[in-house]
Amino acid sequence: MKRRDFIRGATAVALPLSLGGYSARAMGLSPMLESLAELTALADRYLVLIQLAGGNDGINTVIPLDQMSAYNSLRSNIALPENRVLKLTNATGLHPSMVGMKSLYDAGNLAIVQGVTYPTANFSHFRSTDIWMSGSDYNEYLSTGWAGRYLDNQFPNYPADYPNASMPDPLAIQISSSSSLTLKGVNAPMGVSLQDPEAFNRLVSGTSVNGFTTTPDTAAGKQITYIRQVQAQSETYAKVIQKANASAKNLATYTAAGVNPLADQLAIVARLIAGGLKTRVYMVTLGGFDTHAQQVVATDRTLGTHAVLLARLSEAMTSFQQDLKLLKMDDKVLGMTFSEFGRRVGSNASSGTDHGSAAPVFVFGKSVKGGIIGTNPSLTSLDNGNLRMQYDFRQIYASILKQWFGTNNSEYSAVLGKDFTQLPLIQGTTSIAEEQQTFATNGIRVQNYPNPVSTNTTFEYTLPYTSRVRLIVVDAQGHAVTTMEEQQAAGTYNINFNAASLASGAYTYRLETERGWASGKMIVAR
Amino acid sequence: MALLDKYPATLTAKTAEHLLRRTMFGATRADIAALTGKSIDAALDTLLKDQTAPAPPIDPTTGQTWVNGTARTNNDGQYNNYMKAWWLGLMATQPLSITEKMTLFWHNHFVSSYSAVNDTRYMYKQHALLRRYALGNFKTLTREISTDPAMLRYLNGNRNTKASPQENFARELQELFTIGKGPEISAGNYTTYTEQDVRTAARVLTGWTDNPTTVTSTFNLNQHDTEDKQFSAAYQNTIIKKRTTASSPNSNVGLDDLNELLDMIFRQTATSEYICRKLYRFFVNFDVTPTIEKEVIVPLGKTLRDNNFEIKPVLRQLLGSTHFFDNNIIGCIIKTPLDLIIGMVRQMQITIPNSTTQTGFYYSYFDQLRSLAASLQQDVFELPNVAGWSVYYQEPLFYQIWINSATMPSRANLGNTLTNGWTLVNRATSATMRVTFDSLAFLQQFPNPEDPNKVIDNLTQNFFAIDLTSEQKDELLTKVLLPNLPPYEWTMEWNDYMKTPNDAQKKAMIKAKLDALIKYMMLIAEYQIT
Repeated sequence: MKRRDFIRGATAVALPLSLGGYSARAMGLSPMLESLAELTALADRYLVLIQLAGGNDGINTVIPLDQMSAYNSLRSNIALPENRVLKLTNATGLHPSMVGMKSLYDAGNLAIVQGVTYPTANFSHFRSTDIWMSGSDYNEYLSTGWAGRYLDNQFPNYPADYPNASMPDPLAIQISSSSSLTLKGVNAPMGVSLQDPEAFNRLVSGTSVNGFTTTPDTAAGKQITYIRQVQAQSETYAKVIQKANASAKNLATYTAAGVNPLADQLAIVARLIAGGLKTRVYMVTLGGFDTHAQQVVATDRTLGTHAVLLARLSEAMTSFQQDLKLLKMDDKVLGMTFSEFGRRVGSNASSGTDHGSAAPVFVFGKSVKGGIIGTNPSLTSLDNGNLRMQYDFRQIYASILKQWFGTNNSEYSAVLGKDFTQLPLIQGTTSIAEEQQTFATNGIRVQNYPNPVSTNTTFEYTLPYTSRVRLIVVDAQGHAVTTMEEQQAAGTYNINFNAASLASGAYTYRLETERGWASGKMIVAR
Repeated sequence: MALLDKYPATLTAKTAEHLLRRTMFGATRADIAALTGKSIDAALDTLLKDQTAPAPPIDPTTGQTWVNGTARTNNDGQYNNYMKAWWLGLMATQPLSITEKMTLFWHNHFVSSYSAVNDTRYMYKQHALLRRYALGNFKTLTREISTDPAMLRYLNGNRNTKASPQENFARELQELFTIGKGPEISAGNYTTYTEQDVRTAARVLTGWTDNPTTVTSTFNLNQHDTEDKQFSAAYQNTIIKKRTTASSPNSNVGLDDLNELLDMIFRQTATSEYICRKLYRFFVNFDVTPTIEKEVIVPLGKTLRDNNFEIKPVLRQLLGSTHFFDNNIIGCIIKTPLDLIIGMVRQMQITIPNSTTQTGFYYSYFDQLRSLAASLQQDVFELPNVAGWSVYYQEPLFYQIWINSATMPSRANLGNTLTNGWTLVNRATSATMRVTFDSLAFLQQFPNPEDPNKVIDNLTQNFFAIDLTSEQKDELLTKVLLPNLPPYEWTMEWNDYMKTPNDAQKKAMIKAKLDALIKYMMLIAEYQIT
């Protein structure tokens, strides 16, 4: 582990510069050491990635209650009955089978990021999965995963120098029999894959190979080297994984084993975390979201394939969160879901949906700043039948890297390459993020000043083309508090706005045009 | 010398073995002997010969097949296991032929899965189609698969109607089955086709449904979009024109439209090059470098077009090339679970129960091998998704995806499974039977079993795709076969055993040494490549 990991993680605390070069031991017992110990604890932060494979139907997961007539007409054969939707706000609700996640939301442990995708969506499962896992642009081909690059950066010279005293455990664990691109580093997969810690240890014992280190300088030689590397890794880590697994017990109740594959996987993750592994990143997968047909039951649309999948997600996530709480590990764990894309807004004739673009991402944990980030996607202003982007998925990665893992700028650059505006995902990081939070497409710019606002503020926007323009101000609950519209030619314009009637708090504003949009955050404070 | 020049040399045991490992599952000593000393043309004449279709799978408890039934039965889950075992049985017992490997190639290309189709009659019918065209015409097979009942179910083509087109099949037909997706050069434009082409192709394909009684497909003109369908510039703005009754009788509209769509797609050179790239990654190497693209893929694509999409000339050119026998190609593929398991059964000549007189055990035998392959992530009739096994497309790892900390320990334990043996159960009678591996009998097929150096030489040559170094062989001899013992100890024990082969104690002693060697050879990384 890098030295600086011990002294970061809580961005709010400023440390004297002189600390940088000294080890904790050299400083002796002092109040400073105690605070350092506290920070070390804070640095033990783990990330759990939940892949929803197949492309999750976002608008039947997080339902835009403020657009029910468009919703009902565009997906008449799969629309959920409004009165069964689990209301989060007047504008937004969850699928009826997501009872557990509703309670996580109510407890402030769930953030929903609306409209997440990337510019120029790709509708192929495989290419889009690669884009999400590698963190690339739509036209960029990366052979490493975003989490793999993070781990590569934090644990240099892996696997050669590992395990070692400061990192005796696997860097990442995937509960699966395959290895995901997400965890691929420059030289090697940064993770260990296993389905069951006990069976893993049993199988590995007695398969050790001594000698046989030479390889021919051919393609075959490269494969042999790789296989030996995986063999050695398995052998190295099987014991520590088994030990961690055996030393901790799940304290919450999960769905009975074998019924909900995601719950089974997360139960293992909870044990490994509670068992003391320092493993930074875990990855689990729930498949089956490619609901081209029969995603609902015709006689009761709250049932069917999609309902079962969301119930599994919700139950597994809720049990996991409860387990972490009882195991007293909940302040150390952050979870996020991702799926390669959302689905088409209009349903097809087979009570299903074809591949689409933007969809919500869930981020959960005790440290999460709960709530909804962004607004309901517009069901009427579509891009060729698909939802428009509100947030780039890499904004979420950026937020996790900076706010959760506390990466500095150079570490961050090694993972994502370029700057992405952060979102306020983690408690205590709100102000940093809110100051920065703007997003724009197609050369449109919007900002407001002064900000924070006491009474009056001016929205200044730049429009690169002639268009009808709509400015919407939305409160933290997702309600539009005001809407202004005008027709303008290309140019820069001001809209004066009186905020006297608005309560103090955070607001989002969004400038929509015929060919793109931009948004920003505004604080009303008196 | 161009990479696709014909391999000039007569096949040696080593080059024959390479050809057999890639075109079948493992190599038996008999097959190696059959090809050794032949020219590559003669060897390929044998491997590429058309085979007659095998009898369908049966329910071993009744001795009858169910695949021609008029309805799915409640036994279907069990039938699915029988069908899988049936195919693995064919892989293990096949004659000298590329047919099973090519059937697997198409199974991984035109993907369906039982869990989505949910009827073994459908899956069998699709399998029989892939098998029938295994060495046949790619374009004809594409047309057949487009209206195949299992495919109609798997990619929802049976729900694709004029009123509400369903894009699933239209997308994968282009992205994965024929032309392949190029770089996204602008929003929704994948170079070779566009998002609009996906939507348009979906309209062309409207109106097909499957019939669960006959397990056939039918075309319903009322559900078919009969208007003009215009494609993008990627397809030269081709228009599939509205058909008049005079030009096309109602019942033929669907097929006529489909043929016109496929004519358009197959006119593009990208289509023939795409399938050649897939064949290359399946049979030769994952690494399609710019040189390979230029000197192998492009000329193979031309061969395919020049031969009106017949697949045999392409296979002959590829597998008979100097490039295929390049030293860098030998051993560069990581064994698929089926290569590993079926290859083991064939290479070690493990006794297979008789399919006619021991049907129950025969099915149990292959059911267990199937289950082992499935745990290593290769389950036939149950591909992970429509793109097939990710080892053939997922950059940058490709074949290495088979190997991870979850699968590697099981692979490394295969030698234990082999030397311990396993138990078969006849489902009809509950009778059991042990499968054992007689390593001593196996060794006796090689010359000089009494000479420990020859034992190592012969077995390593038989077990591994590449040659081991003399240091590695020495290590096997001195640390694994005879740890802390002088080499003559083996000769003494062997000769002693041969004098009284029925002496159980002597047999056990020497067998333990040999089993340890075999287990170790199956544990090292070299065993995993082919």
